[in-house]
Amino acid sequence: MNSDSAKLNSATAGFGVAAAVTALFNTVLACAKDAYHPLLILMNGIAGHNWTTQGMADVILFVGLGLALSHSRAVERIRPDRLIMFLVAAVAFAGAGLFAWYLIF
Amino acid sequence: MNVTSSDVILLAHATFGVLGTVAAVWVFVEALNAREQNAQRTRVAAWAVALFLSGAWILGGYWYLRFYPAERALILNGPWPFAHSVFMETKEHLFLMTLILAFYLPIVVREQLQANPAARKMAMCVAMLIVITGLAIEGAGAVIDHGVKVALLRAAAMGAVK
Repeated sequence: MNSDSAKLNSATAGFGVAAAVTALFNTVLACAKDAYHPLLILMNGIAGHNWTTQGMADVILFVGLGLALSHSRAVERIRPDRLIMFLVAAVAFAGAGLFAWYLIF
Repeated sequence: MNVTSSDVILLAHATFGVLGTVAAVWVFVEALNAREQNAQRTRVAAWAVALFLSGAWILGGYWYLRFYPAERALILNGPWPFAHSVFMETKEHLFLMTLILAFYLPIVVREQLQANPAARKMAMCVAMLIVITGLAIEGAGAVIDHGVKVALLRAAAMGAVK
């Protein structure tokens, strides 16, 4: 079996998409709470500190989206190579985005 | 000798982070040589990544909330304020991404890696992303540590001049 014909099971594919989306969400939320002060105050109020709230939001999004997508037929149609590329690109873009945000702003 | 709970928690946090990163290298190597014989070992290594990085998260989170504000004030008043404003800010948010990847790794290695090249490639990529982001986080930790050091050295030098 080569990697073109091989398929990822629904859990691997579903949680893979969820991990990529969560990485991007994490960076967007980090930038948004810095740029929009009322959001920072809201996040401080939810779990005592905005970073704690952000960690909880990330885990809830990853688990919730992963479980939902794992039961969806759509993720099984995603080509593994594309999913791997999406995940790697999402983490690279989100990581570089965080560094750039704090460096520039 | 005066070792405080802050010192113990901080060093334990860094140790768990390093162990999680090393365990991710272990997963990468096992996946690279995926066979039926090492499937169980790969799963153990993937759970080790998740558990070690969870430990780093809990310990680091507690230390960050309980002890870091005093060090942040020192850094921001010292010669390397970017140690906090760039490196700590990036580190604390990048870590959350690494943690999510660590939670994902045990899910990937439930697949038959020796029979599924796509799953094997995914396991290797996720493990490598954890290693790369883990090393970046460790490096950022060193910069933050140095930010505190140069702030204290400057404060001490100014005290000596007075």
